[in-house]
Order: sequence, then structure tokens, then C-alpha cells
Amino acid sequence: MTAKRFRFVATMIITLIFLLAWVFPIVWSVLNSLKTDQDVLAYPPKLIFQPTLEAYRDVLFGSGSILPNLISSFVISIGTTVITMLMAVPAAYALARLRFRGKKFAGFYVLATQMLPPVGIIIPYFLILRNIGWIDTYQGIILIYLSFSLPFAIWLLVSYFEDIPFEMEEAAYLDGASRMRTLWRIIIPQVRGGIAVTIVFVFLNAWNEFLFAVVLSGNTVRPVTVAMFNFVSVEQTLWAKLAAVSVLAMLPVVILGIIAQKNIVKGLTVGAVKGGGRR
Amino acid sequence: MTGRGQVRFEDIVKMHGEFSALKGVSFDIEPGEFFALLGPSGSGKSTTLRILAGLDAPTSGRVFIDGRDITATDARDRDIAMVFQSYALYPHMSVYENIAFPLEMAKLPVAEIDVAVKDAARKVKIEHLLDRKPGQLSGGQQQRCALARAIVRKARLFLLDEPLSNLDAKLRMETRAELKKLQRSLGVTAVYVTHDQEEAMTLADRMAVFMAGEIQQVGRPAEIFAKPNSIDVAAFIGSPPMNLLPARLADGDVIIAGHRLKTAMQAAGERDVVVGIRPGALRIAPDGLKARVELIEDLGDTKVLDLDCAGTAMRIRVGDESVPPEGAVISIAARPQDIHLFDPATRRRL
Repeated sequence: MTAKRFRFVATMIITLIFLLAWVFPIVWSVLNSLKTDQDVLAYPPKLIFQPTLEAYRDVLFGSGSILPNLISSFVISIGTTVITMLMAVPAAYALARLRFRGKKFAGFYVLATQMLPPVGIIIPYFLILRNIGWIDTYQGIILIYLSFSLPFAIWLLVSYFEDIPFEMEEAAYLDGASRMRTLWRIIIPQVRGGIAVTIVFVFLNAWNEFLFAVVLSGNTVRPVTVAMFNFVSVEQTLWAKLAAVSVLAMLPVVILGIIAQKNIVKGLTVGAVKGGGRR
Repeated sequence: MTGRGQVRFEDIVKMHGEFSALKGVSFDIEPGEFFALLGPSGSGKSTTLRILAGLDAPTSGRVFIDGRDITATDARDRDIAMVFQSYALYPHMSVYENIAFPLEMAKLPVAEIDVAVKDAARKVKIEHLLDRKPGQLSGGQQQRCALARAIVRKARLFLLDEPLSNLDAKLRMETRAELKKLQRSLGVTAVYVTHDQEEAMTLADRMAVFMAGEIQQVGRPAEIFAKPNSIDVAAFIGSPPMNLLPARLADGDVIIAGHRLKTAMQAAGERDVVVGIRPGALRIAPDGLKARVELIEDLGDTKVLDLDCAGTAMRIRVGDESVPPEGAVISIAARPQDIHLFDPATRRRL
């Protein structure tokens, strides 16, 4: 076997191991979501069984429907993403470009908030929200989500803005554009890959969030990550339903991932390619 | 168009912290002139251009365009077009949109924009590329696109920051000639930054030579070439550069390595000087300065000989005729009017 061929085979084997480790829980969930409760608990596990959509029917349209929770998750995630982006884009631009007092401190502060352990701040957050009466409200949860999505988004976007040469902006000023126009017409179109990547990450973080949601939500606003736990109780775990909800909760993530895949790759390589007139 | 684009720099100082990038720069540019800012990197020529464009603010001093003090005016209100070294084309827009952008910002009607864009594209011969994105253009085409974007708006002033430095040698020569023709036909005032003295010599009507944040000399290229007013300018202008050697001036003659050379200077007494002689002004002649040929650089039509003249390195440029072999000892001379004399202490021309 030549060295080249050996390397190829070795790479394939290692890739396969990682892929299996990653794909197994997902396949298992999908399989379980299509079984009846009896089949799920059968030992040894049944690989061949009569698939049924009963679990999906129950979790979507049964008495304990998770539809309201899916809607809650959407409202929270979209709300968080929209507000985050509206604030993070100008903030990141300012950090990347403008000179102002306390810029260094602001840049550090943005990063520092990312270093706090979430468990350490969850009780203060709970007390604050309770005092202003925002526990179990959309505005309460979105506000708290902003506290970590905003620094993350700013931090991610700054590097994209820094990649745009100064001369590009200066050319626009000399062409008669104001700063806002330059930002809108010249800068933002060039960082759209980065913006897409940031949108995806912020949305996913909000969609997948569990720790804060379980403490700060209630009966009115309960995202699907928290609602899932209704199927786990002291007496029994409804595995098929739990699996069905997991698959449903995963769907938007997968769809978003597929749509944004091209942009994510493009966004991560921005600046690596010497494009027209850049640099 | 003439009568527009007059520039006046009045004692401009630019500090970057403790470092002074410009130490009191003053000059005038006449309307319709092709004016070059020439100097090595870090000499302040680009800073001067950026201050003129309004991209940097001077620490002190004033800038006038057409008699109006614009020192505090925003870049976008100065009516100045600029070609950047990197071209700074907008990569997400087509060539057409790039050229149209300044007109769009000026809120011109669409029909007028269309006519102007096509006209500008025709002038720089890229009318067939209007639908392309800058990334799909060659370096030369990108450069033309940047030019078109600058000329599409009939700006008061036309600034060029080393616009040819990213092109290969052949294209640079061609574009240089076209640039000059374009500037003449448009009749605009052009300010051109370059570190390439050949570019400045060929393009400029007048030029300012920058060294270490100061203007050393302003004048027509031929004038500066013929009469550099300091050792630094003499060393910078001309290729290969001027031979500069320490010597003794005695009663109008210079003494180099024990040999006397006549100069045009009428002066009694003795003093130390720096003698400058251009390689092209030296001739092989009997009874001259003795020198040994160290190396022959063949440039095709001419040859440059590296000489060792009593321990001092010199260069002479000769035609094809009478080229001595390497290692030969030759005798060289120069006409009195070709010998430049400088003061070693002040470095100024005597």
C-alpha cells in the first residue's frame, strides 16, 4: 500500500468513527420517535419494527401538545436574533472602525461577558426579572438572551468589518457618500456572509438554550427545550414522545443549517481569498 | 474646465504623536497642471495627498482649493476624485455600478448617469466590461475601472495615489502614456503621488520632491534633473543615480583622488565639497580621472560600468562603442557644466 493510499484510508476510518459518534444519537432518536412505547423498551433493541407516527400525532395534537412551545421558541429565537443583529451590526462597525474614548475597554467588556459562567449569573437575573415582573414573559427571556447573544454577535462581526480595507470606505466618502450610506451600500454588502453566519449562530443559541429558559420561563412562555421535560417524570419516561419532540426541535436547526451552509463556508473564508480590488 | 482646481498648501504640519510626518509643507498647484508628489516611502507625500483629499486633518496649517479655505471641509464636500493604489473598487458591484456610484451619490437622474458612465468607460476603453464584477477583471482592467470612476464626475481635482504600482512593467509604460493623454484631454488638475522618479519625470508638468516630511525642491522635472538643489534630491532623481563623492574645491577646480577637474564655479579659496556627476555625463577620455572597471551591467542599448576610483565607487553610462573589459583601468572626465557641487555640511547646492 502506498503512503498516499494509506493516508486516505486512515483519514476515512477516523472520519467514520467521528461521524458514527455524532450520527448515532440522532439516528437513535429518529428511530425511537417512530416506535411505540413497547418497542422502545424492548430488549434486545428491535431494529426491525412497524413504524408509526403515533408519537408525533400525540406531541403535536394530543392533550399535552408542544405546538405552543414551538411557537414560544420561535418568538424568542427570532426576537432575540432580530434585536441582536439590529444592535450588533452598528456596534461591531463602531468597534472595528471608529476611534472613541473607552474603545479598548468596550472591546474587553464585550469579551469579558462571554467568560462569566452562566450558572453564576442566573440567580441575579432571576431576581432582577422578578422585581420588574418580567418572569415568564417574552420580553424577560429575550432581554436575558440578549445579554449573551449581543456580545457574541459583536465579537464575531468585528473581525468581518476589520477585514474590509479602509480605502474602500475612503473611496466612498470621496465619491460623496455619508458614513451611514457607506455603511449601508459599501460595507454591509461585503460582510453579508459574516452577517449570515452570525444570524445562524445567534438563532441556534437562542433556540437551543435550556438553562436560563428553565429558570426564567413559566406556564405562559415555555420554549420547547423546557417543554420536552414534561415527558420525563419520576414514574416513567415517555421515550417515543420525547424522541419525537427532539426530532421536531431539531428540524429548524437542520433546515437553517442547510440553507446557510454555503454562506457559512463563504463567511468563514472571507478575506482569505484575494478578491477584486480588495486589499 | 481651466481655471478650476487651483491648490495652495500653507505651512502644513502633521504630527502622529511625537513623530512629525510633515514639517511645514507649502506649495501651489496651478489649474490644469499635472503635479507629482515624489519621494521615498515615509517621506510624507501620501500624507500630503490624504490631507488634500480630506481623509486626514493637518495638525496645523491651511489648505485652499480655488481660493477657498477647505482645511475643515469634509472629504465628501470637497469635490475631489481619487484613484487609490489598491483601486478600492466595490467588489459587490458591477463595473457599471462602480462607475455610477459617485453620480448616484450626487443624485443625478438615471438617464444622465447612464450617458456619463458609458462615456467614462469609453474613454478608458472598458465599455465591453461594464457587466463584470471587479473580481473578474485583470489588474490593468481594474485600474481602468478605478480611473473611470474618478473621471465620471467632473471633479475639481483628480488625485492619484501610486495608481500604476500594481501593474507589470510593460502595462505600466502603456498606461503612463494614456494617463497623460487623458489628463490633457480632460484638462483637469491632477495630483500624482509616486516613489518612482521615472514616472514623475515623464508624467508631471511640475513636481515636488519630498524627503523626511519636507519639500526639498519644487519645479519642472527637467529643471530638477538639471539642477538638484540638495545632495538628497541629486541622489534620488535619475537612474542610475548621480555619483556623489567627497572632494576638495580649490580656485574653481575640484580635486578628486589627486586629479583636478574644471568646474563652472568661479570661486577663490579652498573648501571641502561633495561633487555630483551623472553617470551619463561622464565620458571616457584621455588624461582624466583613473578608475578600474569592476563590473559591466549590460542594459541592451547602453551599458553601465561600476568603477573603483581610488577606493570610491562610481558609475558611468556608455554606449555600445568602446566598452573596456572588466578589470581594465580607464580614464574618465566630465564637462565643467556637468559637475554639480554641494556643501557637505548643509547638503545644499553651491
